[in-house]
Amino acid sequence: MKNARIWFKKDFECRYISHLDLNRCMLRALHKSRIPIWHTEGFNPHPFATFPLPLSLGFRGVNECMDIKLEDDDYSFEEIISSLNNCLPRGLRVFKVTDPIMKAGKIAFARFTIKIGDNRTSSKLICEQINDLLSQETIEIEKKTKKGTLKTVDIKHAVKNYEIKEMFDYAQLDITLSAGSTDNVNPNLLISSLFQKFDVEYEVDITRNELFNSDMEIFR
Amino acid sequence: MINKEVEKLLLKVQKPGRYVGGELNEVIKNKKDVDVRFAFCFPDTYEVGMSHLGMKILYGLFNKVPYIWCERVFAPWIDMEELMIKHNIPLYALESGDPISDFDFIGFTLQYELSFSNMLNMLKLGNIPIKSSDRTELKNIVCAGGPCACNPEPIADFVDLFFIGEGEEVDLEVIELYRKCRKEGKSKQEFLQLAAQIEGVYVPSLYDVEYNEDGTIKSFTPNCDAPAVIHKRLMLQMDDVYYPENFVVPNIEIVHDRAVQEIFRGCIRGCRFCQAGFIYRPVREKSPEVIDEQCHILCNNTGYDEVSLSSLSSSDYSQIVPLLEKLTEWSKDEKVSISLPSLRVDGFTDEIMNKIKTVRKSGLTFAPEAGSQRMRDVINKNVEESELLKTCATAFDGGWTTVKLYFMIGLPTETYDDVADIANLGQKVVDTYYQCPNKPKGKSVRVTVSASCFVPKPFTPFQWEPQDTREVFASKQQKIKDSITTRKIQFNYHDASTSYLEAVFARGDRKLCKAMELACERGFHFDGWGDCFDLDKWLEIFEECGIDPTFYANRRRSFDEILPWDHIDYGVTKNYLLKECQKAYNNTTTPHCRLKCSNCGAAKYGKGVCFEKRKNMV
Repeated sequence: MKNARIWFKKDFECRYISHLDLNRCMLRALHKSRIPIWHTEGFNPHPFATFPLPLSLGFRGVNECMDIKLEDDDYSFEEIISSLNNCLPRGLRVFKVTDPIMKAGKIAFARFTIKIGDNRTSSKLICEQINDLLSQETIEIEKKTKKGTLKTVDIKHAVKNYEIKEMFDYAQLDITLSAGSTDNVNPNLLISSLFQKFDVEYEVDITRNELFNSDMEIFR
Repeated sequence: MINKEVEKLLLKVQKPGRYVGGELNEVIKNKKDVDVRFAFCFPDTYEVGMSHLGMKILYGLFNKVPYIWCERVFAPWIDMEELMIKHNIPLYALESGDPISDFDFIGFTLQYELSFSNMLNMLKLGNIPIKSSDRTELKNIVCAGGPCACNPEPIADFVDLFFIGEGEEVDLEVIELYRKCRKEGKSKQEFLQLAAQIEGVYVPSLYDVEYNEDGTIKSFTPNCDAPAVIHKRLMLQMDDVYYPENFVVPNIEIVHDRAVQEIFRGCIRGCRFCQAGFIYRPVREKSPEVIDEQCHILCNNTGYDEVSLSSLSSSDYSQIVPLLEKLTEWSKDEKVSISLPSLRVDGFTDEIMNKIKTVRKSGLTFAPEAGSQRMRDVINKNVEESELLKTCATAFDGGWTTVKLYFMIGLPTETYDDVADIANLGQKVVDTYYQCPNKPKGKSVRVTVSASCFVPKPFTPFQWEPQDTREVFASKQQKIKDSITTRKIQFNYHDASTSYLEAVFARGDRKLCKAMELACERGFHFDGWGDCFDLDKWLEIFEECGIDPTFYANRRRSFDEILPWDHIDYGVTKNYLLKECQKAYNNTTTPHCRLKCSNCGAAKYGKGVCFEKRKNMV
């Protein structure tokens, strides 16, 4: 048995499928490809795959990963790439298969590229608004707890670093936020506080670029 | 292809994956390379429509023809619909993202009457005039098929042509004719007249209807050489019929998220309430070899780990055990599970049980349909109580602890005692569990009893029968509730108002078109969904149009009345249906096709079960 970390892009039509649907798509493709994936044991065996960090519906992902176990130690990683791509919808593309180096629990940060804009507002103004928001001491948002009640949390502490660029017809925010199982901040929270603060609504396009561990080393 | 304008809306709606296409096995062609573009519309949500086998077959079949590009269109859910209207985005097809008004054919499959309003709403969302007479050019031909096309009259004003029966051949013949007419510069009218000459095509605009003073039909007259009777089309050599090697595999979860393999068409039983049991006659089977091969290819190409064998009654497949043996040869190794829906009470043998159990255990559902033996004889559901209890015992012995039982209320000649017997039968199933020596240890039994409201349908022996009023339905439901004394039985039922509207449309005539038009104007949609359905709004419309819905739903028709669908021929003669109806009144059953031919008329097609050697004859 050997472990494999499958790296893929999630884009185009597949941007709009949920994590649960992504899971289903991947398992179906694995089944179709006949890659010798390890199945759980017991009464109802099913193929085993885990995702180190799920991606929200609507985000593009350019460095997404999924971990599986192979029953055949000699099965080549190269083969996984081609056979899986033959079985996946075009919005999901595998580009690399590696040995998992870090454990999923090590993920601490994620970097996003967020394009914000519409054809009515100048990108300069939007850049200023983003800057205003991120320069605040705290950025408080209301978050729904598991019990369904609302509580106020500060997400400023989760901002590791950021850069704002004024592009021709949109503002681009490159931002690194806390991510992973302990302190995960969805960039959508930031966007809604931006909209709330300035009472605006722009079109938003979010890409997750990279995952990091707590030392800001790229997750491998 | 996702249109830029559509993309802006996607993150504002639920389940945006419904609106983007881009699935595995989707067919993309260059529109410049094709002559005919066909928009295959399913008048319900993506999840429902993508589960429909007929669409998968025709999608594959059409796209195999180089000059046709068939694309899929579904009804946007109400949140998306609202945004599309607000942003002026017309209804589009998933593959190209082009508006449906770009298409040569806009074809609907009509699976249930309550989707009629969605059909019109989809045309409206596509900026296409809903009335056939308002579409004058040879383009955007609106066509429809499916079981509800067997009484096309309530939507006769909107649809240019109907496909009657099975579509594999006739659809292509009509598309080819259209292509020729386009080349020759013919008008839409010329095309429709020529199409009407093709067997299995019904062009409603070529017929005049006159009514008697009491609202019944006086005469039905064809014009322009259109045939007086429209005969259904059907496929006779099932082993040679096209079957897709590939399904479009949805990226999001749909209702039936699995591979589906058709095993036969038609049903030998002749249950008197069941339209499918008559309109798909005669029974025509595929051979186990062909099924096995098609099934294996399909699983390989889609990646599904579950395949369901589809038919009206799978245990009636004459070679079910050899078939299951063949399938399990590979399915086990490839970790594919086989599911057998539509099992009859008397078809659940140890052998079949063990075969389906080898892979995965699902719930068990049986449909005795009626509680008392007399009632089951009336509807010709040839199932004995002892058989049901024996079957349940087999299942309990095999480790099952939940059983679902489906019933109908409001069947002809039904009394309150018959209704109470539904609860009694549920109780007997519970008792059977506790008498079972090998029942699972330490577990309780759960019996779900569902009772739906009977809707009399065209082309059945009950086509002349009145439906129970909503008040009667409600009191029958109460009677069942009062008769259940244990908490091991869960009783499921629905308010009768949807069944009432369904009954109006099922046996409606052209006078209903006016109401449909008004409903479309007022934005009616998703009548089949509790979230949207409002009977009172429909009743308002009927009143405004001077339509009495009870005339269609609750009236007993005389046997000599001209019925709105009398000009359509599904092989089973009206005389046979009449005899069956009278047998029902006498509590007399009719043996199924394999026991004895009862001369329904379907033998005229010269194939299928009508020509099988019967065991008792050998």
